[in-house]
Amino acid sequence: MTWFYLAFKNLIRRPTRSLLTILGVAIAIAVLYSLFEFQKGYQSRLKGELGALGAHVMVVPKGCPYEAATIALHGGKWPRYMDEGLLAKVKANPGVAEAAGVIMDAVFAEGNENVILLGIDRDYMGLRPAWRINGSWFRSDSSVIMGSTAAQEAGVKPGDIWVVPEKNVPLRVAGVLGRTNAQDDGFVFLPRKTLQRISGLEGKLVVILIKARQVDKTADLVASLKASEVDMNVFPLSELLGTIGQLMASTRVFVSAIILIAVILGGVGVLNTVLMAVFERTREIGMMKAMGGSRPDVFKLVWAETILTTVAGGVTGVAIALVSSRLVETIIRGMIPYAPRGSLIGLSLPTLVACVLLSLTLGLVAGFYPAFRAASVKPVEAIKAG
Amino acid sequence: MTGAIQESGGSTAKGQEGVVEAHGLTRAYRRGAEQIHALKGIDLGIQPGEFVGIVGHSGAGKTTLLNLVGLMDRPTEGRLTVLGYDVARRGVRLDALRRRNIGFVFQEFYLMPSLTALENVLLPRMWGGGNGLKGRARELLERVGLAHRMTHRPGELSGGEMQRVAVARSLVNNPRLLLADEPTGNLDTKTRDDIFYLLADLNRGSGLTVVVATHDLGLESRFSRVIRLEDGNVVG
Repeated sequence: MTWFYLAFKNLIRRPTRSLLTILGVAIAIAVLYSLFEFQKGYQSRLKGELGALGAHVMVVPKGCPYEAATIALHGGKWPRYMDEGLLAKVKANPGVAEAAGVIMDAVFAEGNENVILLGIDRDYMGLRPAWRINGSWFRSDSSVIMGSTAAQEAGVKPGDIWVVPEKNVPLRVAGVLGRTNAQDDGFVFLPRKTLQRISGLEGKLVVILIKARQVDKTADLVASLKASEVDMNVFPLSELLGTIGQLMASTRVFVSAIILIAVILGGVGVLNTVLMAVFERTREIGMMKAMGGSRPDVFKLVWAETILTTVAGGVTGVAIALVSSRLVETIIRGMIPYAPRGSLIGLSLPTLVACVLLSLTLGLVAGFYPAFRAASVKPVEAIKAG
Repeated sequence: MTGAIQESGGSTAKGQEGVVEAHGLTRAYRRGAEQIHALKGIDLGIQPGEFVGIVGHSGAGKTTLLNLVGLMDRPTEGRLTVLGYDVARRGVRLDALRRRNIGFVFQEFYLMPSLTALENVLLPRMWGGGNGLKGRARELLERVGLAHRMTHRPGELSGGEMQRVAVARSLVNNPRLLLADEPTGNLDTKTRDDIFYLLADLNRGSGLTVVVATHDLGLESRFSRVIRLEDGNVVG
């Protein structure tokens, strides 16, 4: 028989109380795990999405830069446009290696599926050197290249006819992209002029993506582009990452405070429960001492009970966080202006270990006083108290 | 004030070291402003292998005396030596002495409800840091007639069976002195006799020194020697 076996047996004597205490800790740990993982997943996914853009600088119409970033990254309909003539000016800048003008639109297919349309030109390939097209580049103004997921959902292959939803414009599928594991998989690419025509946006662009000639001189490039044109937002993607990161960091302080309070409350709950149990078991503890249990023995037993409770709470909390990750993500996504696609809360061993270590520390701290009280019980007084 | 116990029918060998030696043993408690003397300077001696009954009415000082002899308390005044150790001396680790040398049986059985009979018997081993010894625990349960109840939990045992488990538990550390405080107080007459025979058998069979506190005057004749307490004094 071991200390932890005995502690476990003591805990299951009052299953409801033990379970409620474990649940209190579990909720605190679940919140901690979810928010921590969300922030980590957010940063990592955002970096991935920005990297997949293949550009260093983004030029968008005047307006909210986060909204613009969302459109540029995820595609969509944004009622702000730039004149297509800007593209030539941008390309003329000596600091620009590659530049691609993009027009975007979004339509609803059957089943209310949102289909993102991107109007691009050959220059877009300068930003996508890794693209593998099954089929060919646009053969005519009436052709289309489908992202792998988009083609799968539409059930088309090269050579098939695909009709643009809402617009009822038939286009021939020239090619289907090999899987990129990025946002391109879900897009449908049309010749820029074609999309401008069918969407009634002739001569308009939503974003210009730029690859700098020298990455270390991106700041100079941004400055010179800003100087040359006032009617657009120019920002390096690293700045976008930093700005969104700062936005998240500012909420982190508030969120951390909430987590801290939740963890403290969980700890106080544990302390209260264990202390109550010690008071109720005064005679039993006295008996243990009568049978030869020393102060350290009794201290260890009560401490072990507390640690078991909090560690069980920690493990349960992580399990709750993983099971409810979809729900939590949906709630958080609804509260913040921009969130990358894909699952942000996942199983992470370092975070799991950190949460279990925190719950262990919580047990060590919360269990100290009850264990001290139990260890201080005098057998004679305890037995007399009965 | 004092009682000359040796003269009251002890079955001890002269010159042998006593298991318990007490001189002028006093234990006083403070209750508010009042000082209560539970034991009033008693003298007594208990020799190895004795089966001693401490008899008296409620409040006579039986439990106080048992607590002192059982190293759960220290005297206010007087000298007390248990198994050769001066209990009144500071620095003596009473819990360690108790664990190694003394077994307890109480009126309440104090069995852990979530542990089996066998695990309850093994419990005191854990305090000593010694694990295992399942064989000895099984042997003890067989000895108290519970070979068929080893895996049962206290809730599945009768009062007499629970007290038998408590007796087996008190013996697992192989004590030199067994103290029982009203061990039959919660039991019916038949079960009371069974437990009593068990304690007497332990005394006879292995020479274990057994001290039983009881208010049941009908049990007096079963002890090898009786110490009568009244109002904190030995009276016979």
